[in-house]
Amino acid sequence: MASLMLGEGEKMLILHGVEDDMRNDGRTRRKYRPMELETNVVSHANGSARLRLANTDILVGIKTEIDCPFPETPNLGKIEFFVDCSANATPAFEGRGGEDLAMEISNSLACAYNSFPLDQLCITKGEQCWKLYADILILECGGNLYDAVSIAVKAALSSTEVPKVVGTVLDGGTVDLVLSDDPFDCQKLDVRRAPLLVTLCKIGDFCVVDPTAEEEMCSVASMVVSVLENGTVSSSFKCGAGSLHSETVKEALKIGKEVGQSLNQELEEILLEEQNLGPKRELFGFLK
Amino acid sequence: MPVDSRRLQGPETTFSYHLYVNKQPQTHSQWVKQVLKSNGKRSDGRKLDDIRKIFLKTSVMSQAKGSAYIEVGNTKVICSAFDPREIPNNNKFSLNGELFCEFKFANFSQKKRRGFIRDAEEKDLSVCLKRALEPAVCRHEFPNFQVDVYALVLEDDGSALAAAITCASLALADASIPMYDLVTALTLGVHGDHKFLDPTSEEERLCCHEPPGQNKNHGLIVLAYATELQQVTQLKQIGVMDSEFLIEASNSLSSHCSQTHKLSQQCLAQVVLKTTKEKKRLLELGETFKKMDVGSQKD
Repeated sequence: MASLMLGEGEKMLILHGVEDDMRNDGRTRRKYRPMELETNVVSHANGSARLRLANTDILVGIKTEIDCPFPETPNLGKIEFFVDCSANATPAFEGRGGEDLAMEISNSLACAYNSFPLDQLCITKGEQCWKLYADILILECGGNLYDAVSIAVKAALSSTEVPKVVGTVLDGGTVDLVLSDDPFDCQKLDVRRAPLLVTLCKIGDFCVVDPTAEEEMCSVASMVVSVLENGTVSSSFKCGAGSLHSETVKEALKIGKEVGQSLNQELEEILLEEQNLGPKRELFGFLK
Repeated sequence: MPVDSRRLQGPETTFSYHLYVNKQPQTHSQWVKQVLKSNGKRSDGRKLDDIRKIFLKTSVMSQAKGSAYIEVGNTKVICSAFDPREIPNNNKFSLNGELFCEFKFANFSQKKRRGFIRDAEEKDLSVCLKRALEPAVCRHEFPNFQVDVYALVLEDDGSALAAAITCASLALADASIPMYDLVTALTLGVHGDHKFLDPTSEEERLCCHEPPGQNKNHGLIVLAYATELQQVTQLKQIGVMDSEFLIEASNSLSSHCSQTHKLSQQCLAQVVLKTTKEKKRLLELGETFKKMDVGSQKD
């Protein structure tokens, strides 16, 4: 991660703030920082979203292509995540610098999305399916990348439009697809079972939601829990070099579930609100 | 898809013939019955909360500083750890030493042939292995240096990651890397109301499917535990389950881990006993040679 310099005094201040349930920016331990979210910001992608969580800036583009399903799962589509840590975020990402972090994030997403219903991406069983490429660009990192990336991916998936297949022609064993002539004749994906990741950063004796980059420096281990809409957990893992006591794990999972559930709910409401603005809504993009 | 051009490439369209041979049981209940017999025992005769027999051995490789071999039922993993060496291409000082872990499946370790180049799953498991071991190693003892740990799964019959974590921690201890504690790990497979401790690959496959009943919990939980420190060094869960269930399961897993911890300790203690005995024997041998020497000089 970006190397921040923090003195002992600064670390103590953060630690004491967390103990008193009043963090440096005035939040309680369970509060998120303000977010800005906009979908459909990239015209060439089938679906896209841009999320700004305080200083963390994420851009996600979803592209769909046609692929053969795996022989073990003939009736499922495919989804793949690529994370690119742009050197714009921090010079440490230059060259291959951000590769490890990018790999950890994309693997965690792949694990979390095991609950995602891929059967909606099937075109013809065993022959053809849609493959979704979720390309995640980290433009700026101000802490809490896992949560921010997962929110942006879910928002991008909800805005993704997959072209409608109106027919298939079997020609000598190979399948030819007939797509609708109308480019706006698309179908949306069902993202109700798309998970959100919640990072619980252990600082002192407490678990903190949505850590800033400074707070992440004060912690040696955090739990990442991926929560579905109904509050079930679809994957979880520890990240960071430290270890956790069983009691902390218990607490982290409990808080993660509650926070994740309400985050899912709020995201759904906001996405619906944006959708209701209609196709003529004002696009903000990167200019504010 | 990256390929290694120096290796012979089969045609890209090959896939395992097991898809045709080993037809999956038609119904879900048949499948469960195949894995779990009606008397509550598993296909290998274990009860649900029994772990398989474990065989541990250290110093199996002569070239590595430390190494260990583990057999958990049919799962076989070999691990080696090397001396701290300078971190390549690193120009900034790091206060804590680095742990470099590589987790690899042998090409023939599973029913389906594994590729030669590390795939995403292996990279993910490497990170997992690293995160599980890191808290137990005194990394401040070798600042600016890195210790390499390689885990190679020779045969995968379920719980390969857990076996690799236990084995790698023994290899590190065998390499005399300063450590706070030994790490042991176990896997729990969940499928509806059934909980399989230390699952085989067949059971793992069942656990990755959603059960049709009321209880939709399914998935795998791997927990790595440092018993003396009473710390969870890694918890990795895949699949969908309630958080309450996950909490309960991780508690029971940590208590099971403490039992396998004793095995690891025993394995190390035996090595120490053996070497001290060997040393004593050599000393005695030296004494007798000296006496013989003195005797021959008198003559």
